[in-house]
Amino acid sequence: MSATVQERRTTPPLTPQYFLKIASLLAGLVAVWWAWNRLNMSVLSFFDDLQNVVNLFKRMSPPDFAETDRIISLTFETLWIALLGTFGAVILSYPLAIGAAANTTTHPTIRFVCRSVITLSRAVPELILAAIFVVAYGPGPSAGIVALALHSIGMIGRLFSDAIEEASEASSEAVTSVGATRRQRIRSAVIPQALPSFIATALFRLEINIRGSAVLGLVGAGGIGGLISESLETIQYKPALAAVIVVFFVILIVELVSTSIRQSLIGEAATQQQNKQRGWLSSFINRRDALLNKTAYEKRAISAPWTTERLFRASAFVFFVALLVFAITTVNIEWGNAIQSTPKIGTILGQMFPPSAGGEYSLMIKGLVESLAIAIVSTFLGVAVALPLAVLMARNINVRRSLSFGTRIGVLGLRGIPELIIAVIFVSAMGLGPVPGTLALSVTVAVFASKLFADSLEEINPAPREGVAAVGASKVQEFFSAVVPQFISPFVSNFFYLLDVFFRSSTVLGIVGGGGIGFLLISSIRVYQFKLTMAIVLSVYLIVLVIEWLGIGMRRLFK
Amino acid sequence: MSPHLEVVANESVATITVAALSKRFPNGTLAVDDISFTVPQGQVVGLLGLSGSGKSTLMRLINGLHNPTSGVIDVLGVDVGSAKPAELRDLRRQLGFIFQQFGLVGRATCLENVLIGSLGRLKGPRIGIRTYPKALRVMALERLDRVGLGAQAFQRAETLSGGQMQRVAIARSLMQEPKVLLADEPVASLDPESSNQVLDLISTIAREDGMTVLCSLHQVELAIGRTDRLIGLRDGKIVLDQLTAGINPDVVMDLYRRHGTSDEVREVSYA
Repeated sequence: MSATVQERRTTPPLTPQYFLKIASLLAGLVAVWWAWNRLNMSVLSFFDDLQNVVNLFKRMSPPDFAETDRIISLTFETLWIALLGTFGAVILSYPLAIGAAANTTTHPTIRFVCRSVITLSRAVPELILAAIFVVAYGPGPSAGIVALALHSIGMIGRLFSDAIEEASEASSEAVTSVGATRRQRIRSAVIPQALPSFIATALFRLEINIRGSAVLGLVGAGGIGGLISESLETIQYKPALAAVIVVFFVILIVELVSTSIRQSLIGEAATQQQNKQRGWLSSFINRRDALLNKTAYEKRAISAPWTTERLFRASAFVFFVALLVFAITTVNIEWGNAIQSTPKIGTILGQMFPPSAGGEYSLMIKGLVESLAIAIVSTFLGVAVALPLAVLMARNINVRRSLSFGTRIGVLGLRGIPELIIAVIFVSAMGLGPVPGTLALSVTVAVFASKLFADSLEEINPAPREGVAAVGASKVQEFFSAVVPQFISPFVSNFFYLLDVFFRSSTVLGIVGGGGIGFLLISSIRVYQFKLTMAIVLSVYLIVLVIEWLGIGMRRLFK
Repeated sequence: MSPHLEVVANESVATITVAALSKRFPNGTLAVDDISFTVPQGQVVGLLGLSGSGKSTLMRLINGLHNPTSGVIDVLGVDVGSAKPAELRDLRRQLGFIFQQFGLVGRATCLENVLIGSLGRLKGPRIGIRTYPKALRVMALERLDRVGLGAQAFQRAETLSGGQMQRVAIARSLMQEPKVLLADEPVASLDPESSNQVLDLISTIAREDGMTVLCSLHQVELAIGRTDRLIGLRDGKIVLDQLTAGINPDVVMDLYRRHGTSDEVREVSYA
């Protein structure tokens, strides 16, 4: 018996899939090697680069808050642009989502059209949209608001329609069974179920848009970004640092507030909070609510009593409306002019067709290739840094708690700085070119990816780990035998998602002199060569599609 | 010949000794309440009782996954309660553990899952079958043959049926060449046919290798004919401890009869 065992193979059979995996890993390494050389990256110069950034920060400090008034007013402008842009996107997304959701749409054609509009609106980076709208509206926040509104439809519309489709069918049937029309059904059965998710989505996008609106100023679309790049370009480093610090804290505060509101609306924390009924405050609230309900019942009231929850919701609504009105009246926009200028967008759109690179064909190809190289190198470098960070951050992987907590705080803090601000700083420190752009993007990838990877690690099934621990394996052995195999599949899909996201980012780095296609893209808009603009936008979209397609294939291979 | 077969004859050697053992969880639940018993080498013990009677906690106390609140656990001469992490890992290498949910790495092949059983003897992490020594790979194949799954060696564990997965988990334990096998409700997630197969496998292997087995079960009829001794738990206390031979099934069934108010309360809280 044991002789036959000796003759049998003890390694897995070499399937075509095995060779495909090896081949794709090799192809990946070749791609990184190619991109690395294409950008003339060098590990040795990292230290010089780092030194340059440190030197810049030395020249920047102490921050000069002399222009505080201007910083504050521009910070508020940034906030109002984000708020109004997000609000506009919500208004536009609602009907699109109703049309795009399977359970509320009227016709398959309508559904297809709505879904296409939602997908397309995400295709063009908001900064490019903003640069185009600056041509229509002139410099100022109007262009920024419209750009954010249109670009955000991609995410808000998609998540709204998902939320609508998740609404329970049973309540829809019940409402239909009493003879309600389609619109009555949507209003009474679908929307109440989807509303918490709607609000959470809008808040989440607001967070993203505040980060986005902080850099709109780079193309003249309002907000604090203009001040930062202007100060750096005129070598006024100390006020620039002051502005960066303000941006950092504003974003951090908004993110903390918005995260806590979102968590109280949806997810596990929401149910936990509802179950928690301790403390003097909640016992007071409970007693007050019980009394109100009792009185309402005794009086045979026909409208709901003002319980604490209702008061809270009503005041949140009033606060939001007041904020919106305040934003509309204080933001630096002449609404009459803005509305008159809107038709110009149509004219510009007309000038984009037929898209053509014209005489800039070779420049365009060169820029696109450079952007791709930037994306590949920065995703590779960022992921290499993010993997150990994610292991430190994941709460279920047993490392020192303080270390894990510290890493999470650090990453959360860095997440607040928009990538283009980092790029502006790196370009100021190291000079123009793709290398500072790539390094800046790598920092953003590392921060963004470590959170993604840590989340995947935390979702890992604990049962195999217990099984491995029970045979007497060490913590390290347990990690490699039970955690790593479960992490491969989410890693591959996250990796291609990162490549997709950061290729899009690499196409706008050129706006701040960080290399890639961005310089040609922004120049084409500034000199009204809109046919070239469209040609670049379409090429970028095509490359994104190829990356997505590659990602689907790799996900299947490494499943 | 397995090296420990020679000592099987010495029935009086205690493998597991538990004395005045209690475990109270931080939330106040007293899961194990003043339990004492001794298991001699080579005995196959069935542990019976309702859900929440303390069976799982007892198993986890024995291999050191939980710490006792009071009392002593001696396993193979090691005081589990006071053992250092390294001593505990050494002990765990000699204790096979079978889980209700198998604890397999679904994405890895059956052979790799079995090889994981040898990690306790190896230094450093292993990634993939090829990183294990050839001799261990041959041994792992033999273990898979023994549970009847040699043909599935290179199939991913997640593609197997529940009964097959549990047999792979048994093969993994066999890689450890364990002196003691702890099986925590090994068939609770399986259909009747697979349950019979898995339990037959455990009792056959135990007798062939002279292993001491502690196996918790829900069904009395599964325990009879496969175990030497039955221990019944209720509310963390031992309420039955008899040799299986000639036992009256009705006496054992009484364990599962709900009487008294405390059980009614328990029932509600589980609903």
